[in-house]
Amino acid sequence: MTVSNQIKQTIASLQGTMATLKTFAAIEENQQTKQILQQNIMCIEGVIEDMEKRLGVLEFEEPQYKGF
Amino acid sequence: MVEWLEVSLRSIGLFVITMLLVRIIGKRQTSRLTFFDLVTVIVIGVITAVISLNLVANLVHGLIALLVWTVLPALIYLLGIKYKAVRDIVQGKETVLINHGKVLEDKLMEARYTPEDLLSQLRKKNAFKVADVEFAVLEPTGEVSVLLKKDQQPVTPKTVGLNVGLESVPQTVIMDGNIMDEPLTAIGLNRNWLHTELEKAGVAPENVFIGQVDSAGQLYLDLFDDAIQVPKPKTKELAWATLKKCQADCELYALGTKHPEAKKMYGKSAAVLADAIDELEPLLKK
Repeated sequence: MTVSNQIKQTIASLQGTMATLKTFAAIEENQQTKQILQQNIMCIEGVIEDMEKRLGVLEFEEPQYKGF
Repeated sequence: MVEWLEVSLRSIGLFVITMLLVRIIGKRQTSRLTFFDLVTVIVIGVITAVISLNLVANLVHGLIALLVWTVLPALIYLLGIKYKAVRDIVQGKETVLINHGKVLEDKLMEARYTPEDLLSQLRKKNAFKVADVEFAVLEPTGEVSVLLKKDQQPVTPKTVGLNVGLESVPQTVIMDGNIMDEPLTAIGLNRNWLHTELEKAGVAPENVFIGQVDSAGQLYLDLFDDAIQVPKPKTKELAWATLKKCQADCELYALGTKHPEAKKMYGKSAAVLADAIDELEPLLKK
């Protein structure tokens, strides 16, 4: 598996987890817990953005491995 | 009048009267009886029995006695709420039996407690060793309350220094195969969501005996047919494990790449995820 593929997988996992956390945050009634969840969702979003940027660079460098 | 008719009429009348009068005294009587409460209750009972069995010649005298014995305690309770002095006299004060781990013999004497009584009361509170007890007090109701020494107290998340997530009351959304709409809307969900979740678990709503939703929206099911295994909700644990995996991935990429900028980015991502994992652990794992 190429590096870009591995990164894609990680990004997908992170997106999945973020979605799960978002459903928790939507249902959660306790304001404090809700806030913690939302904060961490933002953190994970930032990480995903960084990784996607890196993925773009990798795909530009080695277009032969560009996939889905 | 025929005697049996008189007795039954009196009994029925007294039954109603006593029921109403006892209401005046209030609720606290039934929950915890102090010595004074006990006396009042017995006197009221005896007076009622005596009148209804026609043992007092004058019916009015009996009723007056009954009235006094219900109104007076009620009055005293009302006064007791207002003044502490009244409360102390009527209900009695609590007596400290063990303080700082030492048995106070004079207080024991005051409460007419033998060492055997003390030990048996302590055993009832699961304190088999007097050495484990820091503080014990005899309540006005005759019960002994025990505070164990700090190192003998049961472990709580706080004493261990564990961080636990908050969890509010779960809602029961399915009872006896029927979907309850009110609790479902109370947590902001609907039938559509419930049907999706049931489909995920692969059970029909008619087969569910009890279905509860916790504050994170996870559905716990108990089926009529106990032979069927229902998958336990694992969404939380799974989310936590995935996060950990992603964090490890980032660290791996940071080690693998030769690009310094990318290395820095991966390192930062790993750190951010590690923080998130720390913060979410109490919510997702416990």
